[in-house]
Amino acid sequence: MLLPLILVLVLLAQTAPALAQPPGIDDCLACHEDRSLEISLPSGETRSLAIDRAAFLGSVHGDKLTCVDCHTDITGVPHEARPLRSRREFSLAYYESCKRCHFANYTKTLDSVHYAAASRGDTTAPLCVDCHGAHDVAVPGQPRERISRTCARCHEGVLAIYAKSVHGTALKTGNADVPTCTDCHRSHDVGGPHAANWRAHTPELCASCHGDEELMKKYGLSTAVHRTYLSDFHGMTVSLRSSHGDEGRTVVARCTDCHGVHDISKVDDPQSKVLKANLVQTCRQCHADASDNFPDAWLSHYEPSWSRAPLVYAVELAYKFLIPFMIGGLLLQILLHLWRVVVNR
Amino acid sequence: MSQYFVRFSPKQRIEHVTVMIVFIVLSVTGLPQKFFEYEISRWVLDALGGVDRARWWHRAAGLTFAGFAIFHFSGLIWSVLDGSSRLPLVPTRKDFADAILQLRYYLGLTEQQARFDRYDYRQKFEYWGLVLGSVVVIATGIILMWPTIATTWLPGQFVPAAKVAHSNEGLLAFLVVVTWHIYNAHFNPDVFPFDTTIFTGRISRERMHHEHPLELERLEHAADSASTRHGDGAA
Repeated sequence: MLLPLILVLVLLAQTAPALAQPPGIDDCLACHEDRSLEISLPSGETRSLAIDRAAFLGSVHGDKLTCVDCHTDITGVPHEARPLRSRREFSLAYYESCKRCHFANYTKTLDSVHYAAASRGDTTAPLCVDCHGAHDVAVPGQPRERISRTCARCHEGVLAIYAKSVHGTALKTGNADVPTCTDCHRSHDVGGPHAANWRAHTPELCASCHGDEELMKKYGLSTAVHRTYLSDFHGMTVSLRSSHGDEGRTVVARCTDCHGVHDISKVDDPQSKVLKANLVQTCRQCHADASDNFPDAWLSHYEPSWSRAPLVYAVELAYKFLIPFMIGGLLLQILLHLWRVVVNR
Repeated sequence: MSQYFVRFSPKQRIEHVTVMIVFIVLSVTGLPQKFFEYEISRWVLDALGGVDRARWWHRAAGLTFAGFAIFHFSGLIWSVLDGSSRLPLVPTRKDFADAILQLRYYLGLTEQQARFDRYDYRQKFEYWGLVLGSVVVIATGIILMWPTIATTWLPGQFVPAAKVAHSNEGLLAFLVVVTWHIYNAHFNPDVFPFDTTIFTGRISRERMHHEHPLELERLEHAADSASTRHGDGAA
């Protein structure tokens, strides 16, 4: 009973590879290297089916993958007809190819604003290939400027603003410390102000660099900015609201509300929103009736001192003495009273 | 067997209960904001429904307190104008002498104790502490509640200075209450476990004799010369 079964298996093992020998790159390029190869789509668009051999071999996948590793639906020649009506449908049809190898990054994208847009039916929402390329995939972020250029394919206006900011201008000089798009917005689980809690977490986001003592020392910047923000009314409110899990009904200023978002400039830049001369306008974004005195209510991230905020410092100092003096004195009287009561007995 | 005197009028008792409730609300909603970085503060604020709701209660209680302060002082001014108040809480030279004498007694330097009238120096101290503290927290609270309006007249730095003063004054008041006031009203061996006078208005003749002998003498002298017992005293 067992012997015939083994015989069948052996026969199958011998014939199987011969039947399904996967085609190599050369097999595919025999047709697809023809530059004139294209199809017309029902949308009226044409889709070139030609592949640049050198571009593919030069890509990160050039020495690792063959065509059918991704084009798993191609099983024979001629290929089965596919009901694709437009160029975009072509890309969408291959959307899930990457996840066979890049599963972790694929699952991250499910949390992105891009995926949220796609699931609302927006077919222009970016797929893997829109950022990484398809046949010419290169190492992302080399050079770093490539990242902002990639995002700018859709977010053109943002790049124009960012490029003029303190971060954007430094990026152009090859600075490896300044944030580019993905440092704040992340790369696969891309988020933005539409995401829940994005605004609430802005201070931590900025503090991931501006709280880094070593990094800030390179640029002569203070890391007290996060601490002084949190100890002030705005920062404390943001922090308490976020630990309670609500954003509150009124907006409370976070880093970006005063310093700007993509247009952040140096604090001594004449255009800076936080420059003394411009500050009252910035305050008026929320405090519409702010007078010229009002910006001084904010100590510009400085800890109170005799030279910076003498009144605040004096009040702080006075209570540092008054509270222990008063409470100490009262406790002493209580102890004396009790002692006398004990002595009297 | 024992006689009672009415020490506090219904108005004074209501004032005390109101200030007590308002003080508790202000402390519970205010201190977690001062010490916001502590886990317990976050827990309290969460239990209150978040910092925004806690602030609403803090401001409501603060405005109530400010209203009561105005009520209290306008009543006081009125009673001075119509001559019905002897202003028993105004500090006198005797209070300083009493304080020194009492401290000498506690230290065992003398066996003689100070003899007090209606309010002793400690009670006056606490009252004026509350008054001064109220002026600070109400004034700074108003600045913090309407910072843009306040800075149309005041320099901007008054706002962070007001925040420091407000929270520290609140802390000071809280600490005075939990040490000094709780001791005098509860743990003081003379009244342990609970001095109920401010709630019932009544104080025994025995305690009057012990704690307010000068007032007792005056009351009984007045009663004798009118040859009737002090109107609301007999019980």
